[in-house]
Amino acid sequence: MATSTSAVGRLLPAISSQLRPPPEDELREYGGLGLVRRKRVIDVGCGDGRMALGCSPYASEVVGVDPDPEAIRLARKKVRELGVTNVRFKIGVAQELPFPDEHFDVVLLSWTL
Amino acid sequence: MVDALKEARRILRPHGTLVDARPDSRVFAYAECRGATGTYRKTGVIATAREALTDDRASDRAIATAERKGWFRSLRAGRFWHRVLFEDRSAMQRYLEDHARFAHRVRWTVDAAKRRRWYSDGWAIRRAVHYEILMRT
Repeated sequence: MATSTSAVGRLLPAISSQLRPPPEDELREYGGLGLVRRKRVIDVGCGDGRMALGCSPYASEVVGVDPDPEAIRLARKKVRELGVTNVRFKIGVAQELPFPDEHFDVVLLSWTL
Repeated sequence: MVDALKEARRILRPHGTLVDARPDSRVFAYAECRGATGTYRKTGVIATAREALTDDRASDRAIATAERKGWFRSLRAGRFWHRVLFEDRSAMQRYLEDHARFAHRVRWTVDAAKRRRWYSDGWAIRRAVHYEILMRT
C-alpha cells in the first residue's frame, strides 16, 4: 500500500508520481492487466507518464497526453531512459485529442477529471 | 469535463473501456504514524478542502451526464486506499499546507504528548481513490 519514499514531503512538483499509487497497484484495482494487455491505450492527463509507462509492458501501444510541456518533457526523458518503444507522449488537452475516431481500446482518466 | 468525456468517446472503439479514477472525497483521509513494528496507527482525520469538494462534485456530474446521454455505461465502481509517506510530521504538515486538495490542518485523534513523542517517526496520509470502469456504448 505504501507508495513513495521518504523524499516525499520535501519540495516535489505537483505532478510527481511519488504521490500516487504505483501503476501496477492501480491496474490491479481496475481489474488486472487484462484491462490493457495487447490493447491500444491512451492516458489523458498523463503528467510525467506514471500510468502510461506502467501500462507499456502489457499494452500494444500507449499514448500519453498532457497540457503541461514540462510534464511531457519529463515523461519523454523517462521513455529514453527506460528504452521503451511502444509509448509516446504528446502535448494536448482532453477536449481536443489529435487522434482519429475509434482509435483506442482503453482511455485512462487517472486523476484527470 | 463533459467535453473531455465526449472526446474520450470519440477516440474509443465501440465497447472500449474508460477508466475514471480520482481521490475520493466521500470519505476522510487519515494522518498515520508508523509504529516500531512497521504498522501504521491512525492519529488524525484530514478533511477535503471545500474547493476540491466542489471540483469532485462537478466531475461526478460530468460522468452522470455522459451516462445519461448514453455515451458510456458503468460496468463497475470501487474504492481503494493508498499511503503517501513522509519522513516526519513536519514534512507531512508542509505537504498539507502546499496541497490544494486537503484541509491544511489535521483533526487529531491522539493527544499532543503522543504526537510530540512520535514527531520524528515515519508519517503518512492514507487516502481513498474512487474509480469507475465504463464501457463505450
